[in-house]
Amino acid sequence: MTLLLKQLFGFFRLLNSDTGTNQLAAGLAAGIILGFSPILSLQSILVLIIVFFFRIQIGAVFVSAFFFKFVAFLTDPASDLLGQWFLELPALRPAFIELYNMPIVPFTRFNNSIVMGSALVALILVIPAFFVFKTGIIKYRASFVAKFRDTKIWKAWSATTFYKWYTKYQDLYG
Amino acid sequence: MTNTPDQNTKANPPKAKKAKGPFRTEAIIPFLIVTALVLVYFKLFFDLHLKKGIEWAGYQVLGSEVDIANLETSFINGTFRAQGIEITDSAKPTHNMVVIGDVRFGVLWDGLLRAKVVVDEMAVEKIEIGTQRKSPGRVKPPEPPKPEDTGESALKQEADKLKNQALDKTQEQYGDNVLGDIAAMLSGTSGDDQLKNIENSLPSKQRLQALETEYKEKQKSWDQKIKALPQGKEVQALGDRLSKVKTKDFKTPQELQSSIKEIETIFKEADEKYKLVSATAKELDTDLKTIDQQVKELDALVKKDIKDLEARFRLPKLDANSISKALFNQYMGPYLAKFNHYRDVAEKYIPPNVMKKKNGEVDEQIQPRPRASGISYEFGKPNAYPLVWIKKVSVSSQAGASPNAGDIAGLITDITSNQLLTRKPTVAKIDGNFPNMQVMGLSSLVSLDNRKEKSMIDYNFKVGSYPMAGKELVKSSDVTIAFNQANGGLNLEGSLEGLREFKFNLGNEFKNIDYSVAAKNKTVDEVVKAIFAGIPVVTVNARGEGILPNRLNFGVNSNLGPEIVKGFQAQLQKKIDEAKAKIQAYVNEEVGKQKARLEGEINNAKAQVDGEVKKVQAQLEGEKTKANAKVDEAKKQASNDAKKKLEDEAKKALGKDGDKKLNDLKKKFKL
Repeated sequence: MTLLLKQLFGFFRLLNSDTGTNQLAAGLAAGIILGFSPILSLQSILVLIIVFFFRIQIGAVFVSAFFFKFVAFLTDPASDLLGQWFLELPALRPAFIELYNMPIVPFTRFNNSIVMGSALVALILVIPAFFVFKTGIIKYRASFVAKFRDTKIWKAWSATTFYKWYTKYQDLYG
Repeated sequence: MTNTPDQNTKANPPKAKKAKGPFRTEAIIPFLIVTALVLVYFKLFFDLHLKKGIEWAGYQVLGSEVDIANLETSFINGTFRAQGIEITDSAKPTHNMVVIGDVRFGVLWDGLLRAKVVVDEMAVEKIEIGTQRKSPGRVKPPEPPKPEDTGESALKQEADKLKNQALDKTQEQYGDNVLGDIAAMLSGTSGDDQLKNIENSLPSKQRLQALETEYKEKQKSWDQKIKALPQGKEVQALGDRLSKVKTKDFKTPQELQSSIKEIETIFKEADEKYKLVSATAKELDTDLKTIDQQVKELDALVKKDIKDLEARFRLPKLDANSISKALFNQYMGPYLAKFNHYRDVAEKYIPPNVMKKKNGEVDEQIQPRPRASGISYEFGKPNAYPLVWIKKVSVSSQAGASPNAGDIAGLITDITSNQLLTRKPTVAKIDGNFPNMQVMGLSSLVSLDNRKEKSMIDYNFKVGSYPMAGKELVKSSDVTIAFNQANGGLNLEGSLEGLREFKFNLGNEFKNIDYSVAAKNKTVDEVVKAIFAGIPVVTVNARGEGILPNRLNFGVNSNLGPEIVKGFQAQLQKKIDEAKAKIQAYVNEEVGKQKARLEGEINNAKAQVDGEVKKVQAQLEGEKTKANAKVDEAKKQASNDAKKKLEDEAKKALGKDGDKKLNDLKKKFKL
């Protein structure tokens, strides 16, 4: 729980800083895949491994996955229909037969209509979502964060000794 | 004096942080720690947790304790081994129902990598039955009733349960006493004297008395109503008034109008009285019909009383089927109990869509929408693995290892989740003997074909010979019949279609029987001993069919039934007929006479009511007709008078030859 909270605080700190735009956008985009995939599936485990070993903001991944799980729940009926249509395409039948009988691939559970439908939605969304999130973060920092830092309250707070100690601590151990 | 962080910063400007690369190198150690912990768990604790999990699930499903002495799994080799599996006998918790010494199998990595469980060969060895346990096993108590199923209160359900138990017990006792009843009948103590003690307790008699009281009260009310009806004098007075009304020689129009008004008043009065009489007649008619119906119901009650009395005095039925059923109720009880137990287990654990359970009532509470499960497609191809496939299970056991071990050899082939891929049904064939227990010729063949729309399970289970000792069939104060010793043989075959429609035939044959037969009454003792001495082989056959879980029909028959009927027929039938005649005569005496008297009284009342009411009705109708005729007559007379007066005045006005002129005018105007 502490680790999770640390990641969430890290997400908000990074969001309000001037760095890590790509890490945040990639984390939010990866959260889409996690949100639309079943927890116990190969693709979820792969995404988690990638998130763990690559410098992607983990807090952003969890926030995004949490939000997109609800979206996936609401779009289940549509995903089901989309998955059924895709899995029943005669042209793809030989490919699906091969994939189904290949090692490892069945662990993705691609043969389930909802899993396949949700995966298609996630794959379509993930790359545009990365750029949308990146643009959104830059705009957020330029408009909201910069304006907030210009306020008297923030200036008064940042002039306190406590805040200076805090920033020093962050620089050293953050 | 201490430096503030600000001063420090100025004195030693911070070094520019080295940009971090795309890889999170600091994650490697936590990852390795987590991986090591997972490996340690699987090495040290997984087997223990799996063993506990299987024991718990077994207890929940089978309802009795399941123990596993040792369980080992290997992830690298893909192997599983369970030793010393003991399943407690729920009917006898000090013993095991079955003990399986060793179960082992290995799963193919080739399949596991494809998310499939494929087992080339599973070995099941060292099978023992009925062994003594070290300590008694736990047996699951019956589950409490669910009040939400029927909406009835738990108290009422409990009361109903107790009532049903009491009824079952009574029926069971009657069943066990079937020969006791016959003995009592032959001894002449079948309750003749009890008839005298019944007195007024017959429900039909009580109903008759209530009906009589009701009838008397009704009769009083009818008398009052008849008295309130218009009497002959009143009707006559109306007639007299009507005859006095002037209907001709009206001098003025006012005179005519007053006559018509008077007639109309009389008519109105007569009509009111007529309506009162009609309403009363209708009311009386309804009452009489109700009483007629009640008398008819009384007939049905009399018939029921006769039947109840026959049951109360336990007049035995000389019907072979009933006798067979009653004799082997106790014997079949444990089998039926086991069947019901496994039926309940199947109902609880088989998915609702398979059992096609209909849940008619919609839950009114707001429920969150369950997560949809979607459709999982299987993209099979020839020689592809199904999700689960155990190709072969070898069952073997050698007698002699322990007193309860048996010589068993069997093969179960193609246990799979998709028979369309394997193209073979699942077949289990197990044969063997348990020599130490003298159970010989055990053979079972079960096949499950799931390749069609409705799955089909066929089974055949045979036991060539098994010993039986001290089995009581009938034990009452009058008669005792038991098998001291016998050799039994059993053949069970049947089918289950679509996991719902079932059929079975169970054949039992007992040979080399040493009977223990005794009866209190000397005649009965002789007859019973003579009957059983002539029956060297007893057969018991049971048939059942139905639709699970609720529609079940069972039937039991045995050669003992007809033999007993044949043996007792001559002595008993005459006595039964006599007793029945006595009961009929008693009921006729108690109820018949009173009933006939009541029927007579009702018919008299009917005739009287009909006569009086109809008489008044007829009189009133006559007066109404007369009044109508009078009105018509008065109107006609007044019209003629007015016409004549007009003609006379016209003649006067026309002067001489007034008659002729008037006739000419009439012809001209066609009057």
